[in-house]
Amino acid sequence: MGGLRTAESLRRYKYPGHIHILGDEWHMPYNRPPLSKSLLAQDQEFAQVSFPIKSADLNTEFTLGDGVRQLSMEQQSVTLQSGKKIQFDFLVAATGLRSKKLVFPNNLQGGRFALRTFDDAKAIRQAVGSGKEVVILGSGFIGLEVAATLKGLGCRVKIVAMEDIPLGLILGEPFGEEIRRRHETKGIEFYLNNRVTDLVGNTAITHVKLVDGQSLTCDIFIEAIGSAANVEWLEGNELDLTDGLLTDSSLRAVKSNGTSVSNLFGVGDIARFPNIRFELPPRRIEHWNIPLESSRRTAREIVRQVVPGSIEGFESEDGFNPLPTFWSDQFEFSILSYGEPRLADEIRLLEGNLGEEFIFAYLREGSLVGVAGIGMKSKINEMRKDIIK
Amino acid sequence: MITIKVDMDKCQHYGQCVYEAPNIFKLNENDKLEYLASADETERENVKSASDICPMQAIQVFE
Repeated sequence: MGGLRTAESLRRYKYPGHIHILGDEWHMPYNRPPLSKSLLAQDQEFAQVSFPIKSADLNTEFTLGDGVRQLSMEQQSVTLQSGKKIQFDFLVAATGLRSKKLVFPNNLQGGRFALRTFDDAKAIRQAVGSGKEVVILGSGFIGLEVAATLKGLGCRVKIVAMEDIPLGLILGEPFGEEIRRRHETKGIEFYLNNRVTDLVGNTAITHVKLVDGQSLTCDIFIEAIGSAANVEWLEGNELDLTDGLLTDSSLRAVKSNGTSVSNLFGVGDIARFPNIRFELPPRRIEHWNIPLESSRRTAREIVRQVVPGSIEGFESEDGFNPLPTFWSDQFEFSILSYGEPRLADEIRLLEGNLGEEFIFAYLREGSLVGVAGIGMKSKINEMRKDIIK
Repeated sequence: MITIKVDMDKCQHYGQCVYEAPNIFKLNENDKLEYLASADETERENVKSASDICPMQAIQVFE
């Protein structure tokens, strides 16, 4: 997605050169949010999630199913898995994330899944069905969305998580408790403040063992414990690769010595960019709007270098400072959030009732840093402008 | 003129498009999306941005 959006923006800003998108998946770029929802629920085809190529003048070469193995900044080239070498003037690193997976003493793979790609979603869809026993490890957004969708398909769903409260660290304890209550009402079983210590079975999983001694029946085990940035191919170039690719506020990669690299950019989930808005250390943001906004910014930066003065007002553009936004659909309710609620030192119920629709305001040192709620979308949308710039 | 079509089966009424193209899209008092089906050229970039930012990729723009 970050790659495609960068190419689109480059053409929009009249970038005159050749554009080449490289990807390790065999699929053209596609939209991930439906993977845990409609794609899983309705077994949709790839066409339902692929991004349409909207522009006739995209004029971009795609190489799919052949990921980048190694970058050499010295040679200004990337080497692909196939051994093919490609030179570049500008390189945009948009290799995103992969699902984290645990290693168990009995490290069975049969019946074991994660959800990050289209193929992951298809594999889960083929395995599930009415009456299947599903154990989901992790009570973050993906875990909860998958739980809701699979419950709707007639599975028995249990969630095991280390937290005491689902999403409690992100949205606050009252919000998280309400989410748990809604899931329990629908029949989801929670094993919180808990861990899976081992898998049981011969070739396929039949049970999972918990740290508190319980054993849960399990046909399908889904690990939803977060993601790791795909940065290994960037190693050996004196870049700061601590949790993603560190960039400056123009999304240019930053070397270990603190200097910026003018022709290497981080876009999307892997970019760890400065937090200008809240004057806090650089961080990655795994929200859907970041690939789009970071690709636009990167395209402008590249065009500025190639054709100086071609974009009005861009020479003096401020640092990259997107407003993070996320949403989540679970059962019949949907969560919408702007800003960074997890930074709050004070949380206030602003409107509504927990059992129905509501909005929380998230404050840090008295300033609004985030807003989130269930329902009340137009009111939440209106409040986004009140979050500190 | 540009023509705008929203797939209301896909739309989840998040209102991200409202921010990008406020003259074209709005959430009504029931939090449901309403939009203008056509607009003049001045809205082209805003509507394209709205189409890009739509989480459900429900907005199509015809030129």
